[in-house]
Amino acid sequence: MDAGVISIAPWRLMLALVFALIAGGCSLALKLDLGRDLLIGTVRTFAQLFLMGWVLGIVFSVESPWLVMGLFLIMAAAAAQTARGRVKESAVAFAWPMYLGMTAVYLLVTITVTGAIVHAQPWWKPQYFLPIGGMVLGNSMNSVAVALDRLFSDMRARAAMVEMKLCLGADAAEASADIVRTAVRAGMIPSINSMMAVGLVSLPGMMTGQILGGSDPTQAIRYQIVVMLMIVGATALGSTILTLIIRRRCFGPGDRPLLR
Amino acid sequence: MSASQTNTPPSATPQANAPQLALSAVHFSYRRPGEAARVVLKGADMAVPRGAFALLTGPSGAGKSTLLRLFCRLEEPDAGRVLLAGEPVDALIPAILRRRVSYLQQTPVVVPGSVRENLLLPFGFKVSAGQNPPGDAELSAGLARLAAGDIPLSQEAGTLSVGQRQRLCLVRALLTRPEVLLLDEPVSALDADSARAVLDAAEGFCLDDGGTVVLVSHAAFAPARVVPLRYELSGGALSWTPAS
Repeated sequence: MDAGVISIAPWRLMLALVFALIAGGCSLALKLDLGRDLLIGTVRTFAQLFLMGWVLGIVFSVESPWLVMGLFLIMAAAAAQTARGRVKESAVAFAWPMYLGMTAVYLLVTITVTGAIVHAQPWWKPQYFLPIGGMVLGNSMNSVAVALDRLFSDMRARAAMVEMKLCLGADAAEASADIVRTAVRAGMIPSINSMMAVGLVSLPGMMTGQILGGSDPTQAIRYQIVVMLMIVGATALGSTILTLIIRRRCFGPGDRPLLR
Repeated sequence: MSASQTNTPPSATPQANAPQLALSAVHFSYRRPGEAARVVLKGADMAVPRGAFALLTGPSGAGKSTLLRLFCRLEEPDAGRVLLAGEPVDALIPAILRRRVSYLQQTPVVVPGSVRENLLLPFGFKVSAGQNPPGDAELSAGLARLAAGDIPLSQEAGTLSVGQRQRLCLVRALLTRPEVLLLDEPVSALDADSARAVLDAAEGFCLDDGGTVVLVSHAAFAPARVVPLRYELSGGALSWTPAS
């Protein structure tokens, strides 16, 4: 693989900081007050990626399924924590169901892709499992955050409608069916939109990486198709299952709405 | 309220014959994080016999709506018991309870779609499985009973006035054949004709159908055809005034 890759020397990597400096210059000139965030973001980019590179090096050399699963669980926890932070709702406790739901759904999707489609041997082979799992988590956490944010905001905004249906004999699921539908739809739309633009507007990261690494573009395209479909499936499953689980938590005993 | 008493009407003693609706030593407070609890009910007792028309008055913010919402489990008491025909409401399946005790919100809520779709909404829920939905003739007759027979069933419900929506919501509730109607300030935003139609229908529900009504109003109000049980809620205390 390395034969096709042009190595980036450390001083050339530092040259990329020019772009961060340009962004900092814009912030200064326009008084955007983003200098501190840019600095922290740049440092974290270097630190987190070098750390991940170092960890992946160890995981790839040890080849232990426990290590691979352990790393996946940490990545899932980080994704759930990030998604949790983007949802502004404190009246409903949903952190644990979110973490467990995201981990279960995305583990299943990743195993399906590595085991059945890519046919990696073994299915947990870290060179395949971790990057693919990372892509599933990274893309789907946004869809889960969007879906749950929409669920909670609509449960509050449409509380009178939910109560009206409850008062006519609906159960909690029936009274909030429209809200769940809207929330899952909001979570799924970005990944569907990205399928429309792929190859025309954007060359996605995985495909670009493989081409830069010297892979045959037709093989890179096959992987990318798998990734795009996997992300759509994962966002649909994740948004649907988590919205349904957490919707239940929006109601107290007696199907009493908690968000008003 | 010099004539007020804090017990229940003599005709509604619980053991003699279980009242249709009852509260027994009910306490309720609203609690928000970081704020002191707002007490709404302090050991409230209430007994409304089957077929009665109860009128609940009191100042704004006293908790009249909360009291209605306790009967259909949209609120849960901190302590005490809420009973429907002698049975605790929390022992009933919520959907079945809310079919028996129909709560009409203060602001009428309609779903996007025609008047017909709105009237048939309750018949699409699981609790209506095996029940034949009413036909157009029954829907039109229901609207006519509320002096709204001129509203076409095909009209978009969103285009109706507030008064027409309130009447539509009441017809929708009556079509499910409840035992109890809980009416939360049903006429506060209505014109005189709409208000009269709604109150006539509420009184007719008692007199003709044998149903029980609890009507919340912040203003003095005298039903035309029934002698109401008068309750007042103020400062967390629920008091009953004997009919003069």
